[in-house]
Amino acid sequence: MSDDIRDRGDRGDRGDRGDRGDRGDRGDRGGRDGGSSRRKRFAMVAEKNLVLDYKNPQLLKNFLSDRGKIVPARISGLSARQQRQLTKAIKRARMLALLPYTSG
Amino acid sequence: MAEAAAKGIVRSVSSKQGTQREYESVIILRPSTGKPEIAALIERMQGMFGDYGATLIKIDSWGTRILAFPIRHERKGIYLYWRFLGGSDIVAEFERLMGLSDKVIRFYTIKIDDDVDPEARPSEVTDELLEAASDPGPDPEEVARQAAEAEAARQAEEAAAAKAAAEAERKPHDDDGSDGDSADSAAQESDA
Repeated sequence: MSDDIRDRGDRGDRGDRGDRGDRGDRGDRGGRDGGSSRRKRFAMVAEKNLVLDYKNPQLLKNFLSDRGKIVPARISGLSARQQRQLTKAIKRARMLALLPYTSG
Repeated sequence: MAEAAAKGIVRSVSSKQGTQREYESVIILRPSTGKPEIAALIERMQGMFGDYGATLIKIDSWGTRILAFPIRHERKGIYLYWRFLGGSDIVAEFERLMGLSDKVIRFYTIKIDDDVDPEARPSEVTDELLEAASDPGPDPEEVARQAAEAEAARQAEEAAAAKAAAEAERKPHDDDGSDGDSADSAAQESDA
């Protein structure tokens, strides 16, 4: 506890502005954490053992925007590992003209 | 002789002795390619696989598909999926031959697995499979057109049936007189 106070005091020495910025950041993050539990995911992401393979372009199409861009994980709700598999699969499918590089 | 013996060997320090690698490859052929030409291509490749000590495990035709973008001025292509076991030199040779063929407009090979025991993976290739794989399949645009026509015909039929039903319904409704109408309007009001 006393450490905390000293820490804050140190920061205060560095300048008021920095201190305020820090506090603001913390508040923001707290807010976002609360929101993440309500984050909407794509319906097919909920499916167990979802296999993202370039041979299934119909599935991959769900993860493309109208313009043919890959949808970020923040929107689709895929895990980081799945998102890595997804980008690989989409890029492979694009090579084989199963999916567009650009569209619309 | 020495060269032939050297073929099919995995030239990599990281791979285990006596194992091969599993690859899958998708090629796109020009839509004008006929069945005998595809069969000839498969036969030529099988000969090459034999020379290199590789085995074709699976071959599958995905039929003619519309490409997401034109490749070499072609809007459609015949997709052919290959799966084979072999050394790392098999891919280079496979792709060299694909590049030489003027029927092939795109090829893409992916390594699926390292260190596969060739004995444990028997070939699934049969004559029927080869026969099926060399079939270019129906034209997707033609299929879509036929489906659209069938759909239009079905919708027209449905519309005609609905019209006839509506007419049949209207007749007894007219006989009911004004009572039915007032009930309808009351229902609408309660809905609102």
